Amino acid sequence: MSTEKIKNSLKTGSDKDGYFGEYGGIAAGENLMNNLEELKKAFEAAIKDKKFLDEFAYYCKHWIGRPSPIYFAERITNKIGGAKIYFKQEHLNHTGSHKPTNTLFQVLLAKRMGKKKIICESGAGQHWSAAAATAAKFGMPIVGVMGKIDCARVNQNLIKAKHYGGKLKIVEGSLREAITAAIKEWSNNPDYYYLIGSTCSSSPFVDIVRYAQSIIGKEMREQFMELEGKLPNEIIACAGAGSNFTGSIFEFLDEPEIKKVVVEAEETAALTNGTKGIQQGMVTKFLQSDDGSKSLGGSSLGAGIMYYGISPQLAHLKDIGAIEASTANDKELLETYKLVAQNEGIGISFEPAAAVTEALKRAKGKPKDYIICATACGRVEKDLDVIERLIGKDFE
Amino acid sequence: MIAYFVACYPNFEKSLEIIKKSIDAGVNICEIGFPTQEASGEGIIIKNAHDHCLQRNVTLKDTIKLAKAVRNYNNDVGIILMGYMSNIFKYPIKNFVSDLASVDADGCLVVDAPHELREENELRNLMNKKNLSLIKLVAPTTKEERLKKLSNLFSGWVYSLNFSGISGSKSANLEDVKNMIKKIKTYTDLPVCSGFGIKTPGDAKKMTQTGCDGVIVGSSIVEYIGKNLNDTKLPKNVGNIIKTFVEELR
Ligand SMILES: Cc1ncc(COP(=O)(O)O)c(C=O)c1O
Repeated sequence: MSTEKIKNSLKTGSDKDGYFGEYGGIAAGENLMNNLEELKKAFEAAIKDKKFLDEFAYYCKHWIGRPSPIYFAERITNKIGGAKIYFKQEHLNHTGSHKPTNTLFQVLLAKRMGKKKIICESGAGQHWSAAAATAAKFGMPIVGVMGKIDCARVNQNLIKAKHYGGKLKIVEGSLREAITAAIKEWSNNPDYYYLIGSTCSSSPFVDIVRYAQSIIGKEMREQFMELEGKLPNEIIACAGAGSNFTGSIFEFLDEPEIKKVVVEAEETAALTNGTKGIQQGMVTKFLQSDDGSKSLGGSSLGAGIMYYGISPQLAHLKDIGAIEASTANDKELLETYKLVAQNEGIGISFEPAAAVTEALKRAKGKPKDYIICATACGRVEKDLDVIERLIGKDFE
Repeated sequence: MIAYFVACYPNFEKSLEIIKKSIDAGVNICEIGFPTQEASGEGIIIKNAHDHCLQRNVTLKDTIKLAKAVRNYNNDVGIILMGYMSNIFKYPIKNFVSDLASVDADGCLVVDAPHELREENELRNLMNKKNLSLIKLVAPTTKEERLKKLSNLFSGWVYSLNFSGISGSKSANLEDVKNMIKKIKTYTDLPVCSGFGIKTPGDAKKMTQTGCDGVIVGSSIVEYIGKNLNDTKLPKNVGNIIKTFVEELR
């Protein structure tokens, strides 16, 4: 690589003020500023500590089960007729999603900082069950906050997290409200470690979660080179706030020939339809009223992608044309779930169904040696009841 | 005495009457909060009041109008708008500052705008040019080194938070407050006002022993308003409550 290329690398964290271009920053109350400064210092020191990184790598392998394999979805590929469709099988990780990589990293960081208790939010409960499992593994008490709307539809995760010893607080609403409530809990208890579940909120959280999750893309590089002898032409992943997408593409940000496509729920597509604003601790794109006093956006079957904001890093990357954004609606999520279940024997949850939906659209008619990789970031367990109720008869 | 009101709670007219009666009762500075959905620093009492106003589509524009009406009523009372960056950013910042100046308010306080936020710098610079104060907060978690940095940015007066947490959630510990006020005063000659957890006139009186130059009462006034929304004597009664605080502070 030429020095010129490295100089303009996109594979960097936020700038000294925590911004990515014009997005990001810290929009937090004064009483959290010390915590955020402390966290930034601890994070920067931890990622230079070989022992810490070795420990992270050890548990990634032996506790989470990384690397998650890539898988050639051959029957779907043949059905669509076009590009080779691959899945990055993040749903095979312990607890069933990409989330435990982040919770493992941050719980180790919390331990290193000498923190004794953990607080977190969750949307789909995937972060909640992963966080509770990780906290149990390292003997740390944990409190989670989730919205009522989500609790009603992802019961499996709530049961699992309860068994791991997590204590859940339920608030009105969904992920947006859960994030606000968790930040309030943290304000009230500044000695807690706040274990955020995605690439959102104030700096340095976006960098921390991106750092942990970028293992996804690193594995993909090795795996594709081994299996195909080349890298995929397109990488597609869904986004709530954006951690599994960022983790999938970060490794390849300096390779513009690889297309990177983020897929949001059509009903809450902040990257596509949002406007710049300052909420939830960050400057980014939100679905919001013109005066910034209210959030907008509808409801998606994908609890984990039903978020009215987006990672500030992704807002920046989209502005500069480094990534593309698309959307998927509920009908598509259900159809894609069914197609994948019936043809590949894999039950993906609604969130990755958004990514696979986009992959199917893009694969059609492409050359046979064109490779599209969609990150399958969650398994279906949490959504089974909803699917059975909506389209159970389709399978009879 | 500084009193916090939620703008247009329960509606524009009543809210204005409440503030007028409070000024009559001796409030020195009115903090007028503009409602927003997230309100990440607010406890349930103030949050509910914000929600009440949002349901009635109260905006920052309405809050500016209210501030103007308050200024028309009284020339001397301090008027500080208080809220979150979201609304100011969308207003947008430049217009917000010129409107703030044109209604002759004294400044504003933004909960989620630390000086690390570039948009805060933009707001502060524009306000400085118009001689408006962007009130800064100091929290119990603020370290000495940071306090030193903050002290260069103080304007008007300093809002000293009595505990780390959201509004209305805890009580103030007198010893801690005393130490904190002392610490802040080594870095500034501006008035230091103590807020959060001051619920009764008795609490306010105790706070005067901490060396603070003023106390801020919020949740308990908002709570009273919330419980008596339809009482025709509401403004008068709030005035009476304010009076009991002011008397203890004499
Ligand atoms: C299975 C699954 N996929 C994706 C997401 C979206 O999260 P992110 O945008 O951080 O990848 C979630 C969030 O809860 C999830 O549970």
